[in-house]
Amino acid sequence: MQLLLTGVLFMAFVMVISKRVSALIHGFRAQSFFLFLTALYIAMLNNNAEIYIVAGLLFAIKVVAIPYILSRIVRRIKVEEGAGLFINPTLSVFIAVLLTYLSYLFTGRVMPDAGRSQSAAVIISLSVTLIGLFLMMSRMKAVSQIIGLLVMENGLFLIAMASAGGMPFFVEIAVFFDIFVCVVILGMFVYRINKLFTHINVSKLQELKG
Amino acid sequence: MEILFILGITVILALGAVFINNGRALGIVNFLGHLVIAAFSLRIVSFVIAAKQAVSLFNFFYIDALSGIFILTISVLNIAASLYSIDYMNKDLTEGVITAKKFKTYYILFNLFAFSMFFVTVVDNLGMIWVAIEATTLTSAFLVGFHNNKSSVEAAWKYIIICSVGITLALFGTILFYYTASAQGGIRSLNWTEMVLVASKLDPRIIKTAFLFILVGYGTKAGIVPMHTWLPDAHSQALSPISALLSGVLLKTAIYAILRFTVIVNKCVGASYAGNLLIFFGLLSLVVSAGFILVQKDLKRLLAYSSIEHIGIICVGLGIGGAIGFYGALLHVFNHAVTKSAMFFGAGNIVKKYKTNNMNMIRGVIKTLPFTGIVVIIATFALAGSPPFSIFISEIIILVSAFTKGAYITAAILLLSIAVIFAGIIHHISRMVFGRRPENMALSHESAGGKTAFLFLLVFICALGFRIPHLLNGLLVSAVEILKGV
Repeated sequence: MQLLLTGVLFMAFVMVISKRVSALIHGFRAQSFFLFLTALYIAMLNNNAEIYIVAGLLFAIKVVAIPYILSRIVRRIKVEEGAGLFINPTLSVFIAVLLTYLSYLFTGRVMPDAGRSQSAAVIISLSVTLIGLFLMMSRMKAVSQIIGLLVMENGLFLIAMASAGGMPFFVEIAVFFDIFVCVVILGMFVYRINKLFTHINVSKLQELKG
Repeated sequence: MEILFILGITVILALGAVFINNGRALGIVNFLGHLVIAAFSLRIVSFVIAAKQAVSLFNFFYIDALSGIFILTISVLNIAASLYSIDYMNKDLTEGVITAKKFKTYYILFNLFAFSMFFVTVVDNLGMIWVAIEATTLTSAFLVGFHNNKSSVEAAWKYIIICSVGITLALFGTILFYYTASAQGGIRSLNWTEMVLVASKLDPRIIKTAFLFILVGYGTKAGIVPMHTWLPDAHSQALSPISALLSGVLLKTAIYAILRFTVIVNKCVGASYAGNLLIFFGLLSLVVSAGFILVQKDLKRLLAYSSIEHIGIICVGLGIGGAIGFYGALLHVFNHAVTKSAMFFGAGNIVKKYKTNNMNMIRGVIKTLPFTGIVVIIATFALAGSPPFSIFISEIIILVSAFTKGAYITAAILLLSIAVIFAGIIHHISRMVFGRRPENMALSHESAGGKTAFLFLLVFICALGFRIPHLLNGLLVSAVEILKGV
């Protein structure tokens, strides 16, 4: 369990320092895979059929489908490889470490009665969420913003699993569905942005002001 | 059962749009469909009031007076928007501005959007409310980026990204609620009805933190400052009937979600915590939007900032709370929805005629579009809060509640911002409606459908200024009881 969680956090750090969009997508796939293993582990521990189904969906959507869609976009629009870093990697890692420490403080304050392994899980998932937010803010390419959003969702999925044993079954399913549709729609807009602006650097979208 | 009809008809209408090829016929069928939906909503709402109890179905749907107000508002606005769309969209189609395929897409998305908004208000499960609110973003994104040009795609992109991040934070808040409900409350459920029952057992520390995330998260969708940055872009780029729906009801569904959580929070930690936060963000929205309204050049952005102002007023009313404050705020939800959509319809006609959003280029609307001009002037005064229109009544009620609770500073800031915005809006709009008509602009014919939509909304704008109908009053009173947690 601890090993798998470390894997999830480690992949978040890998994404923070990756400079290319394709590396980001691989990082996301690896992180989702660790998440899938975690869910599978929890399902086996509780012998719970619903969590097995959730884990299966997680694998199908986040490990297979979404990375496939994203890499297709990258190939089709031949985006130049840079992920549009706003902050250099060293500073990024420093910020990510700071965010992890913040999550540690937050968890200690809000859930002081949680057990040792549970609070460790919450700390890790919260850091992953915050790092996802940081990824969104520090990268200027449209595709990397989508990945940041997905990393945030990954973190939240883990929080729900770790703190409360997963959300109610049908909510979890509906959330997956929403995320999937969201990525598809965002992907369609990336094509449109690319076609209209001939780039996908979202920091240069500045027509609307005031 | 009515719930299933309401949701079912929107799906049928969306499917119908695939098969009906005649543009005008499609518009009329859509309008009739929404009339039927409104009839069902009226039926369910009057049942809730008469029986003095909530309707629950399959342990999944749950409708009480609080959801009733929002259902009613959504169905009234859908009638107006579908009526207005008939001619508005058909004109675009016949003039070749949009293709037949896009025309159909509009009606499919219109109904999916309606479906997702109704869904927010009828589900019991707080997790499903989250899913439904995310679905409202997804279904309306293409309606914002409908014209597929640089500015509308930019607006749509910002809309999805900002709202999705916001709502992700709301999901975190929801998970925290779920955590304490299962750890301290002893229930493994996200159903609002069950969580309210165990509210007093929940951990106050977690509830307070979670509510912050809920407020910031859903507040993004509601357009509360400083999370409002997507709103002026999306409202100004969407098609006018959709802008009316975005401003009139989409923002309110997010308010509805916040209210559901507020009830639980108030039971757990007392009313002042959530109340003070709502007042703070409400006043911030008022002050910031006042500044942007004064310097605004773009007609639809002006209306968008005015939506932020009114969301601010609603938040202040909800924050002050008590019987009077809640009553005023919920009444304001309905009043703002009907008034603002009349303004957006007017703006739609004006923009179509003058082919610009820039208010400095628009002059003499009263001579080129007489009917629209008159309605826009009436609606502007109503929107700015002058008597004898409906918004005046709800604003006065909120002010009275502030004074009776001794919140003098809040009342002062509220009054001052409303006064500044009053001046700003009247100045901008009157310059546009009156003034010399440009040489090349002829008087043009206004469609019957559009006029009927205006009249339909004007009835609410004017009548509610004098008397609140028995049904609405009963609904508001029972909703206030729910919010007070009796």
